[in-house]
This record gives sequence, structure tokens and C-alpha cells, in this order.
Amino acid sequence: MSPALVRLGRQLVLVPIVAIASYFLMAALPLTTADDAKRQVAPEVLASYRRDLGLGQPFGFLRPWEKLFRGERLGTSAQGVTGDELLWKLSGSVGVGLVALVLALGWALAFALLRSRWKRGRLSLLGDALPAVAFGTPVFIPALLLAPAVVERGHLLPELSAALVISVWPGIFLGTLVADALETELARDYVRTARGKGLSPRAVLWRHVLPNVLPALLDAVGPVATALLAGSFAAERVFGLPYFGQLYVLAVLQKQVAVVVVATTVFASLLVVVGLVVELVRLLVDPRAREART
Amino acid sequence: MSARRVPRRAWVGLVLLVGLGLASWLAARVFPEALARTCPLGMDPTHPDRTVCELAFGGLWVSLAVGLAAGALSTLLGLGVAMAARAAGGTLEHQLLRVVDAVFALPDVLVVMVLQLAGQSMLDAGHAGGLGPFGLMVVSLALVGWAGPARMFRNRLASLEGQEFIAASRALGAGRWHLLRVHLWPALRPFVLAVFLSRLPTAILTESTVSFFGIARMEPMSLGRYLGTSYAALIYEGGSRVVLPAWGLLVLLVLGASLASQALGAGTRRV
Repeated sequence: MSPALVRLGRQLVLVPIVAIASYFLMAALPLTTADDAKRQVAPEVLASYRRDLGLGQPFGFLRPWEKLFRGERLGTSAQGVTGDELLWKLSGSVGVGLVALVLALGWALAFALLRSRWKRGRLSLLGDALPAVAFGTPVFIPALLLAPAVVERGHLLPELSAALVISVWPGIFLGTLVADALETELARDYVRTARGKGLSPRAVLWRHVLPNVLPALLDAVGPVATALLAGSFAAERVFGLPYFGQLYVLAVLQKQVAVVVVATTVFASLLVVVGLVVELVRLLVDPRAREART
Repeated sequence: MSARRVPRRAWVGLVLLVGLGLASWLAARVFPEALARTCPLGMDPTHPDRTVCELAFGGLWVSLAVGLAAGALSTLLGLGVAMAARAAGGTLEHQLLRVVDAVFALPDVLVVMVLQLAGQSMLDAGHAGGLGPFGLMVVSLALVGWAGPARMFRNRLASLEGQEFIAASRALGAGRWHLLRVHLWPALRPFVLAVFLSRLPTAILTESTVSFFGIARMEPMSLGRYLGTSYAALIYEGGSRVVLPAWGLLVLLVLGASLASQALGAGTRRV
């Protein structure tokens, strides 16, 4: 069996494990809080809650999925969502994430080119300082700084602003990787040979160097996809976007077990899909991956 | 590792980290009144009895303590798992690595959110085994953060064990414990420090984000919780003066840890 399929199989196994683990972890949480005023929960409310989530029943952990496939509202209150609404919210978050990915690739290319130029001059320190600033800045800080203009005065589109603040960290992260890989590849013998045979620097870069840099970039897509979606949670909260991230945070805070289970599993499945796409692209662009398959 | 071998960038990072730690300790713990009187940024809009400087430096002290404790715990856990995997070898090592990969693939922020909620429920019910909000956060961060170090330590141990001097030592009759104590641990030590320092920013940023969502009940407030509670004031009172000092301190903290970690990591990459 090809190594790519084996890796995919291992990732797929993760999805039901995540679903079951999140169900039992959330189901173990008591309904009450430390606040004495809220300590008493009526027995009928508790019984309805347990019945609704299938607690104490054999295969009770399948209950959120039964509700999802029957088109019932997930959650134990009117704040729950249907499968269609969940899909709509997910598409909103994925849309913001895709715009952020495009922006991040732009940041990455710009940063890699600038860093290779700065390396020779007095600005080399900036090549180190910029990643530190980007990596030391949680998404919610630029979101908070942009929020007054976006939320209060409506100067910018909230979705675009969210994509912009989410894209900074992944962009600089990818840029650092591309810059390092470019530096390593440009120092290799085959580049010197190609140049010695009269190939233009542009041709060497596009035909020989960049195809070798691409696998390093693909390895980073998984962490970047996780960072983009996790970043969207904070950005959606600050900008008030009613998508998947906002839903997840509220569901955790309100202990909506079924919503958390389904949303967590959808999140894990999304990462598996990203992994599959990365493997397919790797097979297309990396001859070493194709050789390993055969 | 001798002092001469430590790269200059690592020293800059370490000095920055120690300096920030000392500054936050002196400002928040030893001379809080002096800090409150001399703060040029004035009072915080959402905490009228505290100055921005008091809250920023107090938050820095808590974030640094959380980061150090969680980083150390996750590094130790990772090291333990890596050593157990190498000692077991064969199928068991592969199975352990599958578990490591599965944990590594989970997004930190989501898992810490759920762990925090579960831990707080246990705390409320009195079943937290003496853990307060601080200990709860450290344990949550360590539970999601050990997989990366475990993978790195296992790979490093495997490379070290393939070296000729280890084979020679084995051929001369050295046992496992002797190899670990005399050859492997001294070669692994700088790498362990580099990995620990690389965990520090991750732990601090994850804690900040979870605290910002209002899920963690960090008391006294960390930088993330401080920024999270200032949310309304920031939006409706244009309070960027509240964000900028805390942000600056967070960036300096991550800069110090990244510089030290990268420099130490680069120094040990030749193995």
C-alpha cells in the first residue's frame, strides 16, 4: 500500500477517536457552576438533558449524529443549530480561511524575497525581528486594534479584516520556510551547474529551484491550516462574525455537548481533507513521492 | 555545554527573557506602589483602581510563570515518552509514535478550551486534587504540548544512537544506563533546553488566546485575560494605550524565547 494512503488511513482513524473523546469529555461535565444560585437543577431538566444526549444509554455517543441526520436542532436549548446551519457557518469560516490563505501566500512570497534582499544589507536584523513580532502576536491583538474601525464605524468589511489579521502569522511562517529552503537550494551544486551551462537565473529559479522548494512548503500546510482555522475563532469573536468559530466558543462556554462533538469532529475531518489534498498535490509535484508509491 | 559554545543570539534571547522576568517580578511583586504612581499611561478603563502598567507587568509575570511551568512539564513529558519509545523499540515504539502523531495533529486552542472547562467543573466539585486555576492551565497546556517535543527527542535520540561513538561504546560492553548517562544525555542536553525554550512562546500564546475567550479563570490576570477583559473598553473607548504595552511585552517575551531557542537549536543541529 502506498505510504500516502497509509498516512491518510492513520489520519482517518483520528476522526472517530476525536468524536468519541469529545463526547465523553463534554458529557462528564456537570450542568451546574460554582455559583450557589445556579447549583440546583430541576430533576426533570436533568433527565431531559440526559435523554437528549443519550447519556447512560448504550451507544449514546451516537445521539448527536442521529439528531444531525434527522435534521433536528443540535443542543439542549433554542441556541442549538441544525446541520444546515452548521454547514453554512462552516462555509463562512472556510471562506474567511481561504481568503486568509491567499493573503498568507502573498505575505510569504513578499517576506521571502525581502529577506533574501535584506540578508546582504544593513536590514538583515529586520529579517529576524519581523517573524518575532508576527509569532509573538496572538490574532486577537491586531483584531482588537482594527475592531473600532470595523465594528463601530463600519469602515471595512469584517470578513476581509478577519482574513487579514489571521493571515499574518501563517504568511510570515511560510515566508520564513520559503526563504530558508531557497537559501539552501541556491547553494547546491546543481544550481551552479545549471548557471555554468548558461541558463538564466530566472530559468534556474522557476525550472529547478522552486520545484524543490515546494515539498517543504507542502509540509507546512497542515500546521498552517490549523492556525488559520484556530485564528478564525478569535477573529470571528472580535469582529462579531456569526460563523463556525463563534459557534464553537459559545457551545463550549454553554456546555452544548452535541454541538461541541459535531463541531470538533467536523474540524478534525476538515484537517484530514487538507491532509489528503496535500498528499495528492505532493504526488503531482514531487517525483520522489511518486517513486516511493511505486 | 561550555559558555564559549553558546551563540551570541542565544545569549541575547536569554538575557531578554531573564530581564523581562526580573522587571515583571520587581514591578509587580516588589515595588507595585512605585509602578502605580509613575505609570505614564494612566488608569485602565475597565479596572479603575489599577494602572495600565500594573496590569501589564502583573500579567507578564503570570504569563511568564505559566509559560515556564507548562513548557518545563511538556518538555519533561515529551522526553519521558521519547525515552520510553526508544527503550521499547519495535512495534511498541511505532504504536507510541502513532499516538504522538494523533495528539500532535489536534489543534492546541480547541483542546485546551475543552480541558479548561472540564478542569473547572472538577475544581467546582472539589475533585481537582489541589489544583487551582494556575495549575489547571499548566496541566492543560502540558497535556496538549508534549507530543511535539516527544517527536523531536525521539528523532534526535535515534540519530545519536546511530553515531559511531555509540556503536564503539556498545562494542566495548557499555550498558543502556551507561550510554544514556555518559554519552546520550550530555549530547541531548542543549537540545532539551532549545526545545523547552521553543515551548515557552507556544504555551504563553495558547494561554493568552484561551484566557481571551473568557474560558480560563486565571487569577491574578495573565496578559491574555487582561486583554480579554479590556475588550469592551478597547472597542468603545478607543483604548489602544491599553493594548500596546501588553502587546509589546508579549512580543519581547516571544522574541527572547525564539532567539534563544533557534540559536541553541542551530548549534545542536550538526548531530
